[in-house]
Amino acid sequence: MTLLIQDEYPKKLFREDGKRLDGREKLDLRPIKMEVDVIKNADGSAYIEWGNNKIFASVYGPREVHPHHLAKPDKGILRVFYRMATFSVFDRKRPAPGRREKEISMIISDCLEPVLFLELYPGTSFEVFIEVVDADGGTRCASTTVAALALADAGVPMRSLVTSCAVGKIDGELVTDLSGIEDKAGEADLPTAMTWFNDELSLLQFDGQITQSELEESLEMAQDALEQIYEMQLDALKRKYINIQEEAED
Amino acid sequence: MEEEIDEELEEEIDEDLDEDFEEDTDDEEDTDDEFEDEETSREIVAPGEVLSEDMENFIPGRGTILNKKGTKIISVLVGLKQIKKNYINVIPLNGFYTARTGDKVIGIITDKNPVKYRVDINAKYNAILKPRNTVKRSKMRRRGKSSHNLNTERFDIGDVIVAKVISADRLNNPELTIVGKYLGKKMGGIIISIDPPKVPRVIGRNGSMIKMLKSLTDCNIFVTQNGRIWIKGDKIKKERLLIEAIYKIEREAHTRGLTDRVEEWLQNEKEKRGIK
Repeated sequence: MTLLIQDEYPKKLFREDGKRLDGREKLDLRPIKMEVDVIKNADGSAYIEWGNNKIFASVYGPREVHPHHLAKPDKGILRVFYRMATFSVFDRKRPAPGRREKEISMIISDCLEPVLFLELYPGTSFEVFIEVVDADGGTRCASTTVAALALADAGVPMRSLVTSCAVGKIDGELVTDLSGIEDKAGEADLPTAMTWFNDELSLLQFDGQITQSELEESLEMAQDALEQIYEMQLDALKRKYINIQEEAED
Repeated sequence: MEEEIDEELEEEIDEDLDEDFEEDTDDEEDTDDEFEDEETSREIVAPGEVLSEDMENFIPGRGTILNKKGTKIISVLVGLKQIKKNYINVIPLNGFYTARTGDKVIGIITDKNPVKYRVDINAKYNAILKPRNTVKRSKMRRRGKSSHNLNTERFDIGDVIVAKVISADRLNNPELTIVGKYLGKKMGGIIISIDPPKVPRVIGRNGSMIKMLKSLTDCNIFVTQNGRIWIKGDKIKKERLLIEAIYKIEREAHTRGLTDRVEEWLQNEKEKRGIK
């Protein structure tokens, strides 16, 4: 007989002092650390630590497409492979890519495509491999952010970077950047991504219940958070070269 | 012990060397070193960053685009910002090689069949070398026989060639030729690869960097546009030093005063390692 054990969530997602369970204010982001050029054999790579999420991304390309029938004669293709390590979540994750991985790979690829000049590379593919080694809510947002960094590090021409962050509703309050437990126990989750060359949303998913005015408010909150993360992305990209400059010219 | 053996090997290979390559292999006489240019700022820009909103005085150049409304110049690469006359360019700091007509490249034969060779030139497509572009130089045409491909050069898979790109576009595989000065099969030596955008830095302004490397290490160097560098010296110690120097140049390509710094570093290292 199978035994069903229901996940236990705390009844309240806010502490008595009004802060969230991990001590953040409503609009605070989790601590974020980014680094580029971490994988030597890849054309471009990046690493992100976003709260408890730890994600690597590597980029290869442009190169010939295998299997060959996927190649398009008039433009290149972008293929994203989002994978989670078996040890990245509490219960062992089965290593075969499932429905969720395929969905996230697709949305990340759709979200990054508008910033690339794929029409310049017909018959080739850019491949982005994203490996989640530790997951704690919001991996699709962190993956999109780190994939954009890896593409820029590979020297792929891009219209701009892509930044992603989630907003949501927990215990009737709108908050920025939901952690794993807030994502599961909360009322709504709204991952967003933005392309900066036209200031447009490139990704908007929604799960839960929210009113229209709350939706508008949460999108404004997302904009503020995205701008903060964008600054960190730019800094991570440039820091690699600035460090060498300072070291050499001293 | 190991070095002794290496040196012996080197000498053997030296004798095998095709006479055509004995001469000094200078390359890229007219390359501009954009990194050293005075108009190039040391400001590093990232994709999507606004370079200028002054549309009356500036025109978007290499590595930049206009935004949709045509009011801003935006970078598309990670690179150094350069203002040349009224153009704003971005000099890339990383990236891949795209074959262009006239480039000299070092390629490795990966496949051969009766009508063509396939050559890996470190670009997104394999290049093609047809037998009609491999007519041997300095060999007399054999008289009395009319076979049309008698005087073409034969290669095996794995051979390294220096070739020139004779046609390259977005849709077709680039085509190579090995007819010309310094072109053909390479024997002996070492090949290293660096990031293709940093090739101008290894050559330097008017070849200053490469001349300095040659005089300090007594090695022959052949730099090609696809980021592969052929090195051959008389002593393995000197070759090692040169390889380290080239990797240092690649790493510090975006810094100021690189030639002087590398020269100083080379002289220090030579003293440390006891190389005369």
